[in-house]
Amino acid sequence: MSEQYSADVVVIGSGIVGALAAHRLAAQGASVLILEGGPRIDRATLVENFRNSPRKGDFVSPYPFSSWSPHPVYQPEDNDYLVQAGPYPYKAEYIRIVGGTTWHWAAQAWRVLPNDLRIKSLYGVGRDWPIAYEDLEPFYYEAEVKMGVSGAPNNGSPRNKPFPMQPVAESYLEQRFRERLAPGGYQVITNTTARNSRAYDNRPACCGNNNCMPICPIDAQYHGGLSVEAAEQAGAKLIHNAVVYRIEHDAQDRIVAVHYYDPQKNSVRVTGKTFILAANGIESPKLLLLSASDKFKNGLANSSGTVGRNLMDHPSNSLSFESDEELWPGRGPMSPASINHLRDGAFRADHAAFRIDISNSSKVPAVTQTLIAKGVYGTELEEQIRYHAARECSIKNVLEVLPDPENRVVLSDKKDALGIPRPQVHYAMSDYVHRGMAAAREEYTRIAQLMGGTNLRYSPDGIYGNNQHITGTLAMGSESKDSVVDGFGRSHDHPNLYIASTGVMPTAATVNSTLTAVALALRSAEHIHANA
Amino acid sequence: MQTIKTVWSALTLAAAMCASAHAADMGTDIVKRGEYLATAGDCIACHSTAAGKSFAGGLAIATPLGKIVSTNITPSKTAGIGNYTLEQFTDALRRGVRADGERLYPAMPYTSYAQLSDDDVKALYIYFQQGVAAVDEKPAATDLPFPFNIRVSMAAWNLLFLDGKPFVPDGSKSVEWNRGAYLAQGLAHCSTCHTPRTALMGEDKSRPLAGADLGTWYAPNISSDAVSGIGSWSQAQLAEYLRSGRVAGKAQAGGPMAEVIDNSLRHLNEEDRQALATYIKTAAPQHDAQDSQAADSFGQAYAGIGALRGAPLASDTSKFNGAQLYDANCASCHRANGEGSAQWGGKDASLPALFHNTALGHLNSNNLVMAILEGVQRKAGGPEVLMPAFSNKLSDEQVATLSNYLLQHYGNPAAKVTAEQVKSLRAGGETSSLLTLARVGIVLVIALLLIVAVLLGRRRQPKP
Repeated sequence: MSEQYSADVVVIGSGIVGALAAHRLAAQGASVLILEGGPRIDRATLVENFRNSPRKGDFVSPYPFSSWSPHPVYQPEDNDYLVQAGPYPYKAEYIRIVGGTTWHWAAQAWRVLPNDLRIKSLYGVGRDWPIAYEDLEPFYYEAEVKMGVSGAPNNGSPRNKPFPMQPVAESYLEQRFRERLAPGGYQVITNTTARNSRAYDNRPACCGNNNCMPICPIDAQYHGGLSVEAAEQAGAKLIHNAVVYRIEHDAQDRIVAVHYYDPQKNSVRVTGKTFILAANGIESPKLLLLSASDKFKNGLANSSGTVGRNLMDHPSNSLSFESDEELWPGRGPMSPASINHLRDGAFRADHAAFRIDISNSSKVPAVTQTLIAKGVYGTELEEQIRYHAARECSIKNVLEVLPDPENRVVLSDKKDALGIPRPQVHYAMSDYVHRGMAAAREEYTRIAQLMGGTNLRYSPDGIYGNNQHITGTLAMGSESKDSVVDGFGRSHDHPNLYIASTGVMPTAATVNSTLTAVALALRSAEHIHANA
Repeated sequence: MQTIKTVWSALTLAAAMCASAHAADMGTDIVKRGEYLATAGDCIACHSTAAGKSFAGGLAIATPLGKIVSTNITPSKTAGIGNYTLEQFTDALRRGVRADGERLYPAMPYTSYAQLSDDDVKALYIYFQQGVAAVDEKPAATDLPFPFNIRVSMAAWNLLFLDGKPFVPDGSKSVEWNRGAYLAQGLAHCSTCHTPRTALMGEDKSRPLAGADLGTWYAPNISSDAVSGIGSWSQAQLAEYLRSGRVAGKAQAGGPMAEVIDNSLRHLNEEDRQALATYIKTAAPQHDAQDSQAADSFGQAYAGIGALRGAPLASDTSKFNGAQLYDANCASCHRANGEGSAQWGGKDASLPALFHNTALGHLNSNNLVMAILEGVQRKAGGPEVLMPAFSNKLSDEQVATLSNYLLQHYGNPAAKVTAEQVKSLRAGGETSSLLTLARVGIVLVIALLLIVAVLLGRRRQPKP
């Protein structure tokens, strides 16, 4: 086992969060090495995989599975990679390839609300963050410029500078929702997204392919693959198919090296001065737990015992209905607009806050399947597809879950192909969540009424969709006894170990977690640079 | 002769009227006119870098002979042309002679600028002395390989290719035509790119505007021939192309022409664009016997990618066929059948159709390859166009496979692309044979001299 690589900064994981931290540090002159467990896949291959896939709605299907760097797959069959300990199934999706999971996302790049960081103080629930919104603001902006973010200025998150670009033109569906919901007191705002409305960063403007998920075919939407390219152009080096399985510390508790397997299970040791763990909210705690030593018997960075705990995501319930007019969902981005006013308020003491998201995904496949199942065929089928696909709508929420130490990621006793323990999740839904879902359902009913909705189909009570916003498992806090990292993302236990991940967010708020994780990671990178 | 004089007087009179309308600030007017003329001449395109200050030079212009670095033409007295007199400025512009007497390389289109009227040269001079901010930074000097580093060699070249006479109006033509001819032959220097060059790199006067390979991009035949040129274009289409760089069903500007439009032609007044169009429409037809139909008339909508569905994909993209490469890289904007999209989000989205598109209609397929490698980007302020560059995404073989698929179905099926061609274009294009010719020529001359010397020496040797 020879030492083959060394760098000032070693980043474990090449997703958008780790890669943008790597980019920042490389641009400032550090030697940076990024280790990615999965393979490198080009966009053209992914686009062709998507077009050839019979399961257009399965956002994982275009992404190749590699046995040495496995990720959860649920269709056509559950590969059981993520071991479910219950009681509630937590079926997170993520992708282990160069660039990570933002290869497929709807580019939602929201800031949290200032109050999201203080829900314990304000509402007596959850926990407060060790930093304030103002600490994050400049890094949010830096992330927005890097990623090409636009959105409604009145989205509730204060900003010092305007968005780097205007939003993509409103789709007809968004326009009609906005107009028809206004008399009911609902303000429909354009979503905050990392999607080009104009040529930006040598990438073209969105031309409305409406398959943001599973793959934007023209890179109008920002993704982690672009972050990796930027990091490499700034001088960072990337090794793919490098599955990190152990982090090594010295007697002073400093991290000295990480060890990775290649697909043939040859082990390589990589040394560095500073380490950034950026392998997502499930794989990162797994790796810390795997790296237990004689001195750190419960895993690294885990003196608090909270590594892997407080697992959160955004569950959703939803309503599908038919509007009384043609809205033609499917033109423009898949997730263009939101109702934003239920993200904060005194009610948070009692039930979960949420954002209501208006879908603009094409309904043609779902409508067609339903009609075929009913036995409709021939010209009648064609006419009915047109009729229903033009009117079918769906709305859902993105709802805040509170941190609960019992919701957690641990190592299972099952192993992957390289012999590395697979992660096991324990997850449950609280009454706080159920009450929030009930409140959302009432809003859906009113919204459907305003849209002249018929054939209302609510998602079943107590069964929620998941949004793949893995949060909380590496929470930051000011106290080392109940958190994993400090306000700069630095481990309380290892002074040269930083964690860049959605996992460091102490609470989940009501918006997609990517932009916040990137901003936190850029702030960590700034801290690393300043203390180098 | 009388008519010529009349036309010319009319032109001068018009200019004089413009000037006298604001006699009070005539100085400002001349500066403004000079600025307009400098825009028409697109001086900034070569005499600035993308990140640099206006007119401070420093752009390394790739030529078949090597890189020629543009000079600082700001009024800086240390780094620019601040010490130039009007006469020296005129000599540089029209004769290619610097203030110190050294020769300019004809990358500076002085053979075209020689056509400029005295008034226009003066206006340009005043603009460059008074209307441009001085920048005291000297760009690197041009360092061409031997023998072209001997600038005086250009004097001989000028004897062959520099017709130093100013523009003479044609009395049999309209004022508009004469204005167009003056602009096209002079400031706009169309022929610099669009007229083929001889082996000695001079413009081939026998084939004006017949189209020329610029090394990477191809400047098409813009003569009035209906098949080989643009004789089928209407005056309005031509003027629109000069304004926006885009005429649906015909062509869109890419590469250097996109820059010319963004830097220069877009900023001209409509009368001048119409005048240019009027003149270009009458440019003597230059027919190429190899051309059978107009470059903008090939192809039709074709959705070849439908047959791909359900067929297994190759293990990696290097084994993709043309349809698969098209589907993976192009179809999301140009659509499955190549028809593009005229409207998106209420604005002209510039996602052009691939058929009836000159980029795929010329026998010279370089522009298609260059558009794929470099993409097409237009400057801010103009129509928004961003076709991404695929040079770091597609290999030479992939570009060739994709291009041939496109040419076969949407373009000129007689045109072909080879991987070697892509490789060469990716590397910056073929170098001129002139370099080899010149060197071989010099070696030959030296060899001859040596032989003569040896022979002479032998003769003088005393016989034993």
